[in-house]
Amino acid sequence: MEVILQNFDLVIFLFLLCLGYVAGSIAEKRHYKSILQREDELLKLPVVTAEARFSDGRVQKAELVTGSAVISIDYFKRLLAILRNIFGGRVGAYETLVDRARREAILRMKQAARDQGAGMIVNMRLETAAIGNNANGKRQIASVEAIAYGTAIVFNPK
Amino acid sequence: MKFTPKRLDGNVNVSRTHPLAELSWLLGGLILITALVFFALGYSADWAATKAPISVENWLGRQALSHFPADENPALKQQLQALLDSLPADSPLHQYNFRVFLSPSDEVNAVALPGGNIVVFSGLLKQIESENELAMILAHELGHFAHRDHLRGLGRGLGLAVAATLLFGQDNAASSLVSNTLLTFQLRYSQTQESAADSFGLDLLNQRYGHVGGSTDFFARMAKKAGGKIPYLLASHPHPEARIEQLEGLVAKKGYKVEMTYPLAEGLRTVGQ
Amino acid sequence: MILTNVSNVPGKKIVEHFGIVQGSTVRAKHIGRDFMAGLKNLVGGELKGYTELLQDSREEAMNRMSEQARQMGANAVVNIRFATSSVAQGAAELFVYGTAVQVE
Repeated sequence: MEVILQNFDLVIFLFLLCLGYVAGSIAEKRHYKSILQREDELLKLPVVTAEARFSDGRVQKAELVTGSAVISIDYFKRLLAILRNIFGGRVGAYETLVDRARREAILRMKQAARDQGAGMIVNMRLETAAIGNNANGKRQIASVEAIAYGTAIVFNPK
Repeated sequence: MKFTPKRLDGNVNVSRTHPLAELSWLLGGLILITALVFFALGYSADWAATKAPISVENWLGRQALSHFPADENPALKQQLQALLDSLPADSPLHQYNFRVFLSPSDEVNAVALPGGNIVVFSGLLKQIESENELAMILAHELGHFAHRDHLRGLGRGLGLAVAATLLFGQDNAASSLVSNTLLTFQLRYSQTQESAADSFGLDLLNQRYGHVGGSTDFFARMAKKAGGKIPYLLASHPHPEARIEQLEGLVAKKGYKVEMTYPLAEGLRTVGQ
Repeated sequence: MILTNVSNVPGKKIVEHFGIVQGSTVRAKHIGRDFMAGLKNLVGGELKGYTELLQDSREEAMNRMSEQARQMGANAVVNIRFATSSVAQGAAELFVYGTAVQVE
């Protein structure tokens, strides 16, 4: 018992680590499931990164749509990233982070376009930024914001 | 232009390695490298400590003393002198200008500081009942000086801290993780030093009195209060029972005699009251 | 896999498009590079270590994007854009995205 009390910070650290791992994996799996499901639903809505020229009379309305998401990683992944910083190489912990953030942002943009009855999104752009306390400082909160924006085109009914 | 939506299976943007596998690889590598650096630094620091001249140590000693509020005690110095006189003439310990201080603190401890300064705490003195026990403790501290233990501890710890800060930066999480883990191993190292000092102390006790009566009395008294063995795994001193065992083993091996002990000198006994 | 950053492939005709494809990698530098960069800070000049690192990352990101396009059955990706961002201390994310199309 005394050993546990003496090394209390180590015990807390390990506990948080396990909590982060378990809860983090569950949350991530759930998020991915939701992403895949919504991607299926919104699959029919075309998105292109190119500009588009449409023939006269086809376009009823063009509107800017955006979608954004801020996702953060769990404690366990943060430890992995710290260790990676020593050895270099691909940081697997952050890959899912940015992937989720971007796909979520695109889905929200598509949803916003669908809500307006759009048939297509053109000239889509994606931006990613790291935010949290002191994003460039030492005590960072490893969270990432992704924005997806494009022009939603509502077509004239044929 | 035709649009054909395609559903994708699998995710190219995510690596396949399982996070736990990655963690074990990274952690394993880190532990390996830290262990290598630790041992390398340890050996070089040890080597440097044995080569440090006594004048450097005396200078360090003057710095260290300023941290302990204590007065020089002539009665203790007398006891120490008797031990020093029992040393062989070519012992490097004669180069030190030893001073013995008595600190009013109730802590049951005695500490060897660089430069030939020994500080004995009142709490320790109160626990001592015979002159031989005191001689054993002073001889133990002399053992530390003979092995340059205080310099070794200083060199190693400092070297590691400097290396970690150079590599990782001052406030980096990795740096503090590494330093905190290494600190526990540092304590383990000094347990070996303590055992070596015990052995030296036993030999010196025998030189002084012709027998080793009283060498284990103090530890036996401490052992009753010590409690379990587990906290001592990572403490700076070995468990009192372990020390008694080692001493008794040495007594048997070297064939030392055990005879009556002398009571504590008048001036030192009153400190306890 | 043909990659362009204009809206079409010059000289060819786009017949079908499949949607957005994206490739990204997150790379961290290791202590050796950090140390050399620290030294380079004294004399100035190109940080070859970092340039190499980011070049490798860019290639990997493009490969991932091409792989995704191939899975969709496309043979070209048009209107590619790059983005680099720092997601954490010492780690940079390289990101490529474009529209997967079929050209003839």
